[in-house]
Amino acid sequence: MPFSLGLSSGQGEPHVDLGLQGKNAIIIGAARGIGLATAELLAREGCNLAITARSEDGVKEAVANLKKYGAKVIGSAINVKNADDYKAWLADAIEQLGGCDILIPISSAGGGIGSEKYWTNAFEVDVMGPVRAVEAVLPTMTAKGEGSIVLIATTSAGEAMGGPQAYNALKASLITWGKQLALAHGKDGIRVNVVSPGPVEFEGGNWEMIKGTMEKFYTNMLRSQPTGRFGKPEEIARAIAFLASPAASWCNGSHLVVDGGFTNRTHF
Amino acid sequence: MDVIRKSDVTRVDPQAWPNGTPTEKAVDPDLGHEMIAAERYTSQEFMQLEWEHIWTKVWLLAGRSDDIKATGDYICTDIGKESVLIVRQADGSLRGFHNICLHRGNKLRPEGLGNVENFRCLYHHWTYGLDGAIQKIPDLDTFPQGAPPEGKLPPIVCGEWGSFVWFSLNPDVEPLETYLDPIPRHLNPYHFERMALKRDVTVEWDCNWKASVDAFNESYHVQGIHPQLLWYLDDTNIQIDCYERHNRYLIPFAAISPRVRVPSAIPPAIEEIMLKAGMDPAEYEGRVSDIRRDVQKFMRANGPKVGKDYSELNDDQLTDDYHYMIFPNVTLNTHADDLMLFRQRPHPTDPDKMFYDIWVFELVADGEEWPERPRHRHMKHGDRTIGQVLDQDAYNLPVVQKGMHSSAFKGLWLGDQELRIRHFHKVIDDYINGPAGQTAGDD
Repeated sequence: MPFSLGLSSGQGEPHVDLGLQGKNAIIIGAARGIGLATAELLAREGCNLAITARSEDGVKEAVANLKKYGAKVIGSAINVKNADDYKAWLADAIEQLGGCDILIPISSAGGGIGSEKYWTNAFEVDVMGPVRAVEAVLPTMTAKGEGSIVLIATTSAGEAMGGPQAYNALKASLITWGKQLALAHGKDGIRVNVVSPGPVEFEGGNWEMIKGTMEKFYTNMLRSQPTGRFGKPEEIARAIAFLASPAASWCNGSHLVVDGGFTNRTHF
Repeated sequence: MDVIRKSDVTRVDPQAWPNGTPTEKAVDPDLGHEMIAAERYTSQEFMQLEWEHIWTKVWLLAGRSDDIKATGDYICTDIGKESVLIVRQADGSLRGFHNICLHRGNKLRPEGLGNVENFRCLYHHWTYGLDGAIQKIPDLDTFPQGAPPEGKLPPIVCGEWGSFVWFSLNPDVEPLETYLDPIPRHLNPYHFERMALKRDVTVEWDCNWKASVDAFNESYHVQGIHPQLLWYLDDTNIQIDCYERHNRYLIPFAAISPRVRVPSAIPPAIEEIMLKAGMDPAEYEGRVSDIRRDVQKFMRANGPKVGKDYSELNDDQLTDDYHYMIFPNVTLNTHADDLMLFRQRPHPTDPDKMFYDIWVFELVADGEEWPERPRHRHMKHGDRTIGQVLDQDAYNLPVVQKGMHSSAFKGLWLGDQELRIRHFHKVIDDYINGPAGQTAGDD
């Protein structure tokens, strides 16, 4: 059943067809959280999927679950930091899917303050993860004359949250680079957009751990959410899926903050 | 147990470390499932029984050997209404005395540490040598009856093990090593003498001393009052071992409790363990559930390079808490690099009060300077923080003590995770009634 974006729930009412049926999508970091929710949504909408993540068990479980929706799903575990393995995986995924219409690279090394290594990790995973994936899919998208890429940044890029660290700074670079890509490849029918999620809580996610280990910080963060709660992975996934889909045909070079009103900044 | 996944913690093979701390699981004693009567925590009568049958009969912890290294160094420590002086002699041995002047009963020294050439009472200057013998009585000729005939301070048995000083108010007490058995065999591999005191705090708590011992004798309460520790240790995979009078449990640290999901990011407290071990969490490529083993491997390989000798410890001891209770009142959170020791002392008169001594020791690496001894701090419950986890324990105990006074509360309803508490009360009963006497559940 087509995804309704909440505009319709019954027969006879108008609904938006995202046009995702039969599209080939690659999602990097799809074993849990936002990545998994996005993969589920795309699978439900009839996309063929190639997914990867670091955890072998996680990928195996996700592939098995996603197959329930009847689409073609392939997946194996990869450490994005191992450039050669990663590139080989990307080439193989494109080949097995028979091209790539949608790319959503979402893997992140996460935050960390102190060690210089956090910068290397964030660069390798949060920056070079998307860079290598985009490089890999551009030829097939260009050849087809269409394609959609959604980069995932964070509200922590626009708001100085969590102390000075690589995560925020390097995620921010994706917003800039996303715009550059959008301008450069628009002529080839390739759209590039960026989604910045606010705090998202889910079972096994980091906010669940923060709730248990740093209750005060968690409560303070919760208080700064206008709705009094954090986001859910599927709420971010719906925004990503929309931008990824042909339904968002006129969205290019946009940066969509999806945070339930968490950030203070007005986007002029 | 309320877990959502299988524990992935593995333990060392007991056979693999024949000369180290024994790791075999002891057969659990059959102690029944009866209620432990609440009066044991609240009544003056029971407090008196404890004094007569336990505090005046067993070996008790006085302090640290390295606090009294030089001739004339002494430890003065109180237990109940008694006060004890333990003094280093010129020949290196120790002697213990009751801390009272034979003249009018004045205490010779306040609690604490010091160095003296002799003990001179501040009241009339009666003076005693380091061996306790009367050295001088001013105006002795005005005492027609002469000096007290014993001629010396009443002696107290004392001894040393594990870099600690012990004493007993019982002149006929068994040898210290016999009393402590099997603890020395278990804990000698840690070499406490290589660890320096970093923290010395006494807190007056408004609870019975046993409520404090109990609080540290089970980890069932982690999911209740220390939720943050679920991302630090595996509270569901604990090996409990009860011995004749002492007991222990082995609790895996640097692990995630199966009560919660394994996060993809390294929990902050486990990052601390890695940093302390000398690892960079940012460099870590493994899974969160592999960290415990990897920290062990890293410390094993890296220890000698940083002057830390772990050769007598097994791999689990490099991360885990080998948690011992030396009857009746010493709790030891034992780790390769540190020891967090609690001494729990009854109030002299009030069963609702106690003294909670916290002594934290840290391993001093070879070549590192021995740190200066911290000053002893004494405070009342709630005066200031004693650390997040201990604050959580402390917050709870006065309320528990109050609740135990309720006519509606008959006693402690203990589960298997609290076997050490049941064992502790069984040993108390053995002392009070003799081994063949009544048990706690028969009350």
